[in-house]
Amino acid sequence: MAGKIKQMIDTIISQRSKDNPMLAGVIKTKLMLKGIDPNKFTPQSDDDPAIIAKLEAVIKELK
Amino acid sequence: MSIKIAGSTKGTIEEAVQDIKTQLGGLETRMLLFFASSSHAPEAISAQMQEAFAGATVFGCSTAGEIISGRMLNGSVVAMAFDGKSIKDVKVEVVERLKEGVSVEGAFSSFEKHFGEPVSVMDHDKYVGIVLVDGLSGSEETLIDKVGDLTNVTFIGGSAGDDLKFEATHVYADGRSYSDAALLVLLKPGTRFTFIKTQSFCDRGKRLVVSKANEETREVIEFNGKPAADAYAEALGIPVGEAPERFMHNPVGLIIEGEPYVRSPQRIKEGRMAFYCGVTEGMELSLLESTDIVADTAQALAKAKAELGGISGVINFNCILRTLELNQKKLTEQYGALFADVPTIGFSTYGEQYIGHINQTATMLVFK
Repeated sequence: MAGKIKQMIDTIISQRSKDNPMLAGVIKTKLMLKGIDPNKFTPQSDDDPAIIAKLEAVIKELK
Repeated sequence: MSIKIAGSTKGTIEEAVQDIKTQLGGLETRMLLFFASSSHAPEAISAQMQEAFAGATVFGCSTAGEIISGRMLNGSVVAMAFDGKSIKDVKVEVVERLKEGVSVEGAFSSFEKHFGEPVSVMDHDKYVGIVLVDGLSGSEETLIDKVGDLTNVTFIGGSAGDDLKFEATHVYADGRSYSDAALLVLLKPGTRFTFIKTQSFCDRGKRLVVSKANEETREVIEFNGKPAADAYAEALGIPVGEAPERFMHNPVGLIIEGEPYVRSPQRIKEGRMAFYCGVTEGMELSLLESTDIVADTAQALAKAKAELGGISGVINFNCILRTLELNQKKLTEQYGALFADVPTIGFSTYGEQYIGHINQTATMLVFK
């Protein structure tokens, strides 16, 4: 399967930043410091379970 | 609205606290932040500072050197006092037993109760957080990561020091001293504020990808599929034996939007490299080269001043490695002078926090 990571990253950035570009930049930086570079993932990227687990933890905190 | 600063190099705690109280006389202090040399007994300095400013919220930490407008000091106490107009509201929470696992939920519940709204929805333009953390806890990444997951409010701060003894560091609140602990302080300033994150490095264009790491111990085992120390030395074009001499001038950094988030090497052990902050597998790091701390800081301050239209106070969390470099280059007076006309306090830290945990950086909270 592919594309899930890109989808999760987009969801996190959109929900957290509420489309504020400055906040979107901060959220991207936070993800990069966690070891997840949003620029590296496309709809064709493989669904790496380790990265998905990290992103799920972030999404859980949002709720 | 008023923000006032004071500093004292008096020898005893009693004298230093009295000196600071006298200098801040006339201000109705709502909040007092202080940084004290580790030469001052932790329990006593915290208790006496709280007693001297009994009606105020008082907090601070131990240092590896202090900063006050125009000067870099050692063995002193520096303080910044805010009146009720400059800080409308403040709540300090102590997060204890960091080494057992970092949990900030209790602190965030307390903030919600105090301010009447969840931190997750607070306006990042109206609230700001300060974090002061035991600099020997090794917990900073987890702490700032969890805080960042829960809120868009910016938390900025530094890791407490102990004058390079690396024995025990302390954070101070409620007249008490804490180790293995962090302070999360949520403020509602009465004025605009901004942030400075400045580090003086350029990218040497050499990439070091973390191919194997022990994230818990902040160790890189392999860069680019080779033993970490070998790959680092190779990137510099030097023998491995000379690598530790280059740590201060050639750390590595995660480059985000052209801005380095510095990771400073601490030591080499059996080919592995230990760092002063976290590194994760897959992280693409760049080899950095030190530039001009004084010029870069002057530029960052000027930019903040232009953005706010004036500065009433600066809290400067300045990495100890920057202080050591300034000492080595005999530039401490020039650095201190940058802040001569701006009410400033700060300290030499064992790590800096801004969005994440970083090294060899100055993070500053700047008030209009």
